[in-house]
Amino acid sequence: MTSSAPKSEQLRVLYWRSEILQVLYWLHGEGLGDLVDIGLIRTYLGVEVLGEVQENLSTYLDLLVADGSLVGDGDWYALSERALADGEAQMATAFTDLVRPVLSECNDECWCQTSAAEAEACARARHASDHEPGKAIT
Amino acid sequence: MSTMSGLPGDTNGTLPRHYLKPCLLLLLAEGPSHGYELLEHVRRMGIKGAEPGGLYRYLRAMEKEEMVSSWWEPSQAGPARRTYVLTEHGRKGLNESVQSLRDVREILVTLLDRYDTLSTRAGASRP
Repeated sequence: MTSSAPKSEQLRVLYWRSEILQVLYWLHGEGLGDLVDIGLIRTYLGVEVLGEVQENLSTYLDLLVADGSLVGDGDWYALSERALADGEAQMATAFTDLVRPVLSECNDECWCQTSAAEAEACARARHASDHEPGKAIT
Repeated sequence: MSTMSGLPGDTNGTLPRHYLKPCLLLLLAEGPSHGYELLEHVRRMGIKGAEPGGLYRYLRAMEKEEMVSSWWEPSQAGPARRTYVLTEHGRKGLNESVQSLRDVREILVTLLDRYDTLSTRAGASRP
């Protein structure tokens, strides 16, 4: 597999940061453990990316420790309390977006129920994320 | 799929090389699932050596190929888990994989039938 990692170093740091954190969140969510070492991270990222990330993996992990996302203890790393809280918040937000009612699911009090024109306006407004269904726009 | 050329030690030479793919597609066709749950099921389907790292990479690769999609599902009782579902593209992939397995089955049945015929003949000719 050709890696999806960006070519510029700044974006690659962000890309691998996300990839590493996703592995740790996944392991945590599945109850498979909270402590990882470089070897395990390599296993999860896959052999195809080794050439690209192998030399920099320690650096990426160190950056995550430095920014407070990971806690490092010798060869072992774990998500920090802050990263866990941030992750839960981000996941909750993402989930909220998924379960937010669509236009036809607005309740009877929603102003978009009054006319087709209002419904179109509601859809546009919600597309711009400035209208919660069921609440009037001020 | 080039990212997962089979999981070392999981087939003992008895299962097709990419057997994990139809297994995962079938499991997700049966309904949305999570990583650990999928791992348990594929082990029960014969891939005894399946390990979480391989499964994780396989799911990521299948997501990049748009055969599955996933999202984080928050839980009241524990941490958020990644939920995986089959896409329409994945359903087509499942159909193709199953057809391929059916073709392999035909070949194997032909071989086994000839073997059985030979065995029967050999048995009959023995004094």
